[in-house]
Amino acid sequence: MRKINYIIISILFSFLFIILYSSLDNERIYNTKDLIGKKISQVEINLFQSNETINTEEFINNEFTILNFWASWCAPCRKEHPNLVRLSKIKNIKLVGVNIKDNVESAKSFLKENGNPFDILAEDKNGKNSVNFGVYGIPETILIDSELKILKKYIGPLNIKDVNEIRKLVKK
Amino acid sequence: MLSNLGNTLIIVALLISFLLVFFSFKEFRTNNNSIPGKIYKISLLQLFFTASSFIILLLAYVLSDFSLANVYENSHTNKPLFYKISGTWGNHEGSLLLWINILVLFSSLFLFINKNKDKDFKILTLLFQNILVIIFLIFLLSNSNPFSKLFPIPLEGLGLNPILQDPALAIHPPLLYVGFVGSSIYFSAALAALISKIDSQSLAISIKPWVLVSWFFQTVGILVGSIWAYYELGWGGYWFWDPVENSSLMPWFVMTALLHSILVLERRIGLYSWVIVLSILTFTMSVTGTFLVRSGILNSVHTFASDPSRGLFILSFLIIMVFFSIYIFFKFAPNESKKYTIFSKETFIIANNWFMIFFLGVVLIGTLYPVFLDTITGSKISVGPPYYNLVLAPFLIPLLFLMTSGPNYKWISHETKSFFDLVLVLSVILFLITFLLIKESSFLLNLILFFSIYLIIQTLFDFYESFKKKNINISRIISHLGFGLLIFFIYINHIFSQENNFNLKLGEIKKTDQYIIKFENLEEKSIKNYKSIVGYFNISDKKTSITKELKPEIRVYDKPITITYEASIESNLFSDTYLTMSNISETDVFNIKFQVKPFMNFIWFSVLLLSLGGLLNFLSRNKNEKN
Amino acid sequence: MLLKKVKIRLSILLALSVLSVLAIFLLFKVLEDNVLYFYSPSEIKNSDEINLKKRIRIGGIVKQGSIQSSERDIKFIVTDTKNEIIVSYSGTVPALFAEGKGVVAEGNLKDKKFFVAKRILAKHDENYMPPEVEESLNINAK
Repeated sequence: MRKINYIIISILFSFLFIILYSSLDNERIYNTKDLIGKKISQVEINLFQSNETINTEEFINNEFTILNFWASWCAPCRKEHPNLVRLSKIKNIKLVGVNIKDNVESAKSFLKENGNPFDILAEDKNGKNSVNFGVYGIPETILIDSELKILKKYIGPLNIKDVNEIRKLVKK
Repeated sequence: MLSNLGNTLIIVALLISFLLVFFSFKEFRTNNNSIPGKIYKISLLQLFFTASSFIILLLAYVLSDFSLANVYENSHTNKPLFYKISGTWGNHEGSLLLWINILVLFSSLFLFINKNKDKDFKILTLLFQNILVIIFLIFLLSNSNPFSKLFPIPLEGLGLNPILQDPALAIHPPLLYVGFVGSSIYFSAALAALISKIDSQSLAISIKPWVLVSWFFQTVGILVGSIWAYYELGWGGYWFWDPVENSSLMPWFVMTALLHSILVLERRIGLYSWVIVLSILTFTMSVTGTFLVRSGILNSVHTFASDPSRGLFILSFLIIMVFFSIYIFFKFAPNESKKYTIFSKETFIIANNWFMIFFLGVVLIGTLYPVFLDTITGSKISVGPPYYNLVLAPFLIPLLFLMTSGPNYKWISHETKSFFDLVLVLSVILFLITFLLIKESSFLLNLILFFSIYLIIQTLFDFYESFKKKNINISRIISHLGFGLLIFFIYINHIFSQENNFNLKLGEIKKTDQYIIKFENLEEKSIKNYKSIVGYFNISDKKTSITKELKPEIRVYDKPITITYEASIESNLFSDTYLTMSNISETDVFNIKFQVKPFMNFIWFSVLLLSLGGLLNFLSRNKNEKN
Repeated sequence: MLLKKVKIRLSILLALSVLSVLAIFLLFKVLEDNVLYFYSPSEIKNSDEINLKKRIRIGGIVKQGSIQSSERDIKFIVTDTKNEIIVSYSGTVPALFAEGKGVVAEGNLKDKKFFVAKRILAKHDENYMPPEVEESLNINAK
């Protein structure tokens, strides 16, 4: 009797934990695989503190382009910033920073404090354009090639591993 | 600077905890009759170091030291001091440190206060408790360190979400943690009791005060959390059956069951294994709740920022803990022979346990079902309040009845037969009066109403009786009275609540069945860290022609940019008038939610009474011990 | 004597297990009747089986410039970048409700293009989006 109880209870808990464990698998939620190989949408974005705009079409001229969505109020952005600075040293990548829903002064002082890795700095005052890129939260980073195809999309802050992965991807 | 100091203190605390586990292990089953002094000293040292690390974090918040990533992310220099302090535990990392502090505090208190003579039992409890401490310290250091450094040091912090800047929200996590984490000590004690084979009575005496303390804090914590939801979320509700609320309620059910079982165990041999199971289950439910809240697998209004690696750690811990407990239980649990007479107090107390476990099961299934379904079939669902209300409500009837007759069972059979009838007659009369006032047609709801009145009247009579006799348990009466009143007032509140949603322009008037609402004025103000738009509303009651002024606010905070809607609540003894406004289209049309909620203050009061019973029991117990 | 004891025990055990199976069955019945399914605008468009009487949740992003207030209600468009649905709601919205942000609304579908919300759900965190919405957006971004 005791043994049977023991086995039944153990099996019950094992089942429970397997379910809980598989629910933890956040790949399902943050899966960006579907996006790879798709062309990015054509969007006009405003340049930072200027009336000029840039069309995503223009990225055709670059061998590789990285779009990074950030804001000074976003804590993870601060964490990933040194990695963006690292990326800016790779020659065949153009870095485009899109500043989202930010206070101009604090955005400026953020770049002053942490360095400005961006070749092109754009802004998205109300977060409208970012939706067109399918950006949900910040930071997010999209790597595209000269055909405007998405090679990789990172949700959340970039880490050193991501930087190395990008290095490999642009070497090929 | 503070970061390094904090880190050092945590590491030293970890080393001391290892030392404590090592010495406890060595001390187990030696021939010494008492625990050597050095263990007491190490335990004190451990308490000192963990407490200091928490004070350092607190200091970092008060001084706004943004070299700590944690402070940077959750604080701001021009935040009021009170919220700087509460910011310490308002985030995952800080709350984990608080969690560890409570674990250590309970470990030391148990060592110093518990009077149990059995050395093996005490030393094993200490051993298990400190294994828990070590696991959580490692978790803190490896994954959730509140002392992580940030470089370059930012000049200003990001600020705390304004919705979280509320006194009730600031104090309710620590209250709940004492409840949650407090249950760890009787988890450890239960495992220790199994291995050291102490007798049931001394187990009951050993864990009772800890159960009472954690139950009390859990109850008050849930209460304060509800009050926060009522005032701050702006929906006028106080309980949403939200997964996060559920995960604080689930341990409460088990604690309540445990509390009642211990009463039996104190006097009789029976229920030994059952008490052990409940002790283990309470802490398991607490950790499960923590897992559900922190891992982000549930969708809730009270989310902590989620991180899957945290979830994985807590889940692994949970798995190890559960299987270890199951193993220990089946290896060491004694075979009990159950001898009960059917109509005895024990039966009623066991009945309470069945109800609590049933409630636990219902809430657990409701909470986990969406997770299961999502994992297995991929469809996204949420379980709404109707499920809980539908399943739980019918079972309130027998529960209320048992709460009424159970405690008095021994007395009923002889002297006070007539008394019992008087109570019944009075309850029926009162019920009929309320029924005529309400004219509720649902049979089920009427039954609940009747039995809650019956319970209230019965406990009031018991209360009167307790002045004549000395042997009636006053804390039980107060708690049961609190529960009866709670059900009664929730019921009345449910029936008489009114809600109206509409849009208004400035100067317009809205008439509902009973009220006339006039949008009189609009004013903009600039206050320290936010801009405020205040609406002036005049509410007049058609029947009584009493008028009220309500001033709901829209606040626009700048750090981080957030809009909050502050409800304006006019709270009377008998009824709350509740009004929120918003303006999402940014035109001159404002969206208004107008509610009348009777007896809100009585609901809060009932829960307070419920918890007070537990506190009284704890205090009177200590008095008895001294005598 | 012993046999009798075993018999009693067995019958109690049997009764208990029948009762608990029944209880669990009923519980799940009630549960199934009271769950709220979540759909994205695209799922609503592609599905034939959505019961108009049943309360559901829908989610997506509030389309830019789509919020309109009248004396009766608020109307706005929820989009998942592929398909859209018009939502009507009366009452106050949670603090984090805004154009271009994720939203979850609870209520009934009138037809495949029109939804009457009884409740709009609140979230605390600026960086946070309801996981369901996030997932359905991912699927529709294909």
